Amino acid sequence: MSQSVDTILLQDETWERVDKATGGAAAPCFQCGVCTAICPLGLVKGETISIRKMVRQAQLGLPGWADGLWECTTCLWCESRCPHEVDITRAILGLRQLAWKEREVPEGLPTLLWDVYFDGNTWGRPPSERPLWTKDVTVKEFSSDDEILLYVGDDAAYDRRIQKVGRALVSVLEAAGVTFGTLGEHEPSCGDAVRSVGHGEYAAEIIDANARLFQEAGVKTAVTVSPHSYDMFANRYPNLSGDFRPLHYSQYLLELIEGERLKFENELPLKVTYHDPCYLSRRNGICDEPRQVLQSIPGLELVEMERSREDTLCCGGGGGRMWMETAAGERFSDLRVPEAAETGAEVVVTCCPYCLSCLEDSLNVIGKGKLRVMELAEVAHLALQSGAVASDAASGRS
Amino acid sequence: MTKSLYGAKEASGIWIYLEQSQGQLEGVSLELVGKARELADGRGIPIVGVLLGDQVGDLAQEAIAAGADEVRVADDPLLRQYTTDGYARVVTEIILEGKPDILLLGATPDGRDLAGRIAVRLRTGLTADCTDLKLEEKSGLLIGEVWGFGGGVIAYIKCPDNRPQMATVRAGVFAVPKPDAARKGKVVNVPVKLSEKDIKVQVLEHVVGGGVDITRAEVLVAAGRGCQGDFTLVNELASLLDGEVGWSRVPVDEGWVSRDGMIGQTGYTTRPKLAIVCGISGAFQFTVGVEKAETIVAINIDAEAPIFEAADYCIVDDMFNVLPPLIEAVKKARGGNGGR
Amino acid sequence: MRPLQIIACVKVVPKPEEVKVDTKTMTIERGEVRSEINPPDMNVLEMALTLKEQHGGKVTVIAMGPPLFEPYMRLALAMGADEAYLLSDRAFAAADTLATSYALAQGIRKIGDYDLILCGEESSDGATAQVPPGIAEWLETSQITYAEDLEVLSDSKMVKAKRELAGGYEVIQVPLPCTVSVKIGANEPRFMDMERKVWAEADGPVTVWAASDIDVEAEMIGLPGSPTIVDGLAQAESTERKREFLEGTPEEQAKVLVERLRPYL
Repeated sequence: MSQSVDTILLQDETWERVDKATGGAAAPCFQCGVCTAICPLGLVKGETISIRKMVRQAQLGLPGWADGLWECTTCLWCESRCPHEVDITRAILGLRQLAWKEREVPEGLPTLLWDVYFDGNTWGRPPSERPLWTKDVTVKEFSSDDEILLYVGDDAAYDRRIQKVGRALVSVLEAAGVTFGTLGEHEPSCGDAVRSVGHGEYAAEIIDANARLFQEAGVKTAVTVSPHSYDMFANRYPNLSGDFRPLHYSQYLLELIEGERLKFENELPLKVTYHDPCYLSRRNGICDEPRQVLQSIPGLELVEMERSREDTLCCGGGGGRMWMETAAGERFSDLRVPEAAETGAEVVVTCCPYCLSCLEDSLNVIGKGKLRVMELAEVAHLALQSGAVASDAASGRS
Repeated sequence: MTKSLYGAKEASGIWIYLEQSQGQLEGVSLELVGKARELADGRGIPIVGVLLGDQVGDLAQEAIAAGADEVRVADDPLLRQYTTDGYARVVTEIILEGKPDILLLGATPDGRDLAGRIAVRLRTGLTADCTDLKLEEKSGLLIGEVWGFGGGVIAYIKCPDNRPQMATVRAGVFAVPKPDAARKGKVVNVPVKLSEKDIKVQVLEHVVGGGVDITRAEVLVAAGRGCQGDFTLVNELASLLDGEVGWSRVPVDEGWVSRDGMIGQTGYTTRPKLAIVCGISGAFQFTVGVEKAETIVAINIDAEAPIFEAADYCIVDDMFNVLPPLIEAVKKARGGNGGR
Repeated sequence: MRPLQIIACVKVVPKPEEVKVDTKTMTIERGEVRSEINPPDMNVLEMALTLKEQHGGKVTVIAMGPPLFEPYMRLALAMGADEAYLLSDRAFAAADTLATSYALAQGIRKIGDYDLILCGEESSDGATAQVPPGIAEWLETSQITYAEDLEVLSDSKMVKAKRELAGGYEVIQVPLPCTVSVKIGANEPRFMDMERKVWAEADGPVTVWAASDIDVEAEMIGLPGSPTIVDGLAQAESTERKREFLEGTPEEQAKVLVERLRPYL
């Protein structure tokens, strides 16, 4: 599928299509190749994918499909090191959009989009089952008097493991006396999955509909479970009402702590390390908030991995990779789990459904002694429980 | 009303299309003969089998042993393999000659292929994919039970005026009757008026018998979404119990497995003695396919999964936590029995 | 190569989980339910569009049903179909497979030119799988049911496909025109083209035909044309089960379970 640059005749029409799809994102690239050299895929695949070539393709309007087009997890590592600040993700997602036009997409992705279209979620489950994640806790429908809208997202709504994160978050919000609600079965898919597999045109339609839905519902502060939903709302959605204020839950928990509404009084003797999700740290500079939440818990010890904050290593789940098969041994999380174990931490804490799933999958395969993966919300929930329960749970006895 | 080619007054008997493949009768055909016998008894209704093939006459006795009074055999080299055009033509001729009141076929791919075609040719009604059959007390009309809408609705369908009253019936819903080798019946050879040019279908390749028939399995281990595509433990447990492996719709939709072992409304109806159902939530569309099991064990991580309402023994846990110790315990128990 | 005239028959079905039964009146509540294109009919559309890409020609969609089907006709156009016809008339309602296949066959006759008529293997609501062979008989075409891997040999005017059998498969070849029932999951349906969607919703050629628009005999369609009737509805009963929950660690549960299952070991 890859084409040698030397043998291709550039055609105006193709160039225009590529330029339009990528929004000219590749124009500033001067082909230094830093992106290719540092792409973390090299760590797991033995060879890097040629980001540089893809950007070149976008720049020159070359037809054909680059190797590695669907491998990119949009982790932004290359962008963070690019000397010319090229919007590399935009170039890659633009090329993916063209691949949709040419119907050159990996198996399973069209089904993903149909699931979103017919069912309103990436899981292909009925919307009527969306509110079932709450199980034994009651979460009311959002009304515009509420302080916040809790945007649950597809994973916390349908994935059994992530549902626990949602329930933990609810109990923390309740402990802080926050008035909140969800959109129940009318909650839409945020569009991150659609955008990240490159279908920008469909994502635009979703964004448009959802932004209007939020405005009509009177949503101001929207707190998300997933950094990906947060990134969509904060950076891709129009602020129709002018006071739409999306927050990732780690930011909101810190606000509650700073406002002295959320207090951790019990000791939680737990040694943890924190794995930064790309979409919080590199993409949105949110590195301190989750750490400050952790550090406000008495008795909890936070140790750092070498790659942390804006230099975090991707879990491998972004860029639509959650819906594509990643061969065993080619998963970033397989590298990340040993890194976390080396710190001597009992728990690796993260706050992204994709990170949680990938890290737990790797942990199940590799097995690293007593190391466990928890979401920030789960740690906070644990810290709020009585001392005995918390210490039992912390030592893994419950 | 669309008029059928003959009417109720001229019609008599329950006829069964005896489907054979490579010289073997499909189990569902014998199940139908057995059921027809049961329906006919006390009413004096003749049971007639219709058998097409090439040198398949021997199979007629099997149908008679299962309860048929008569078998009409169309034996011809051109009927060696099923072709829609060849078979539809010959079966229609036999039907118009014998004018049965009821015509039953197995709801197999070939049975449905043929039934849909000849129902229109005969301009009659067809109740598809029945899960039970009965005769209306007074009128003697055939009532077909069908599952509808995936929502636990049963519809009873009948065909009052047109003849034959046609129905296709799923494999496994009736038991195969015990053969009675002493039973006597009539075998009538039907002349076949077929020439090569009548058959436009060319069969280029024909592969059967590779798969397992889960409708006959005595022990069935089934897995669904919860197995995440990994059937290793499920296979191990099944082979330990001399059983077969089946699955719900999700593994098929996910592309983990083919439809060969799919249980449920759009898959197979099974009637095992023991069914161990792992990681299947138990939507109605699935449970209809196992509910005839003598004993059902359900293993599911979700305590509220509907499968637990349809199970005898329930374990709330991830199947991957339960199966390894269960496999060990079965091994030990079998060892205690001296093994098999 | 000769371009292909392809008819894609589709049905709009309620999402299975949305259908409820009123246990008192024993009627099916289909009011405000969410619908979708019958899943195997999505495979039909994909197959039709792929064949058109290979051979050229035209994909015409036909459906029979109430006006609420119309947006789904446009969805098929957004996927790539050229035009769509919806047979919509109260006179068509409550049809069984004989009356349905007759009406669709007459609609297809009116469309005129066809080499291939593609249908889904069965509908998720009725699940009879009898309409495709029915259409084939009314139109006197050849038929391939439960088909995948369709290959049109347009020069010899033949079509070849792999066909599911009980416990196996066969590969058969039949002359065109042919009615094919496409196996569910035979392919992965492409997503809509969003530019086409805008066109399909605004200007897509969807024609609604009433019974009087096509050549049908009134007594052969809808309820009057249906020899089968629904004699009654019932709620499915499930067998009483023991429902014994086993407690303890997985090892303890396994031990108890093996005790309970001893007769089967």
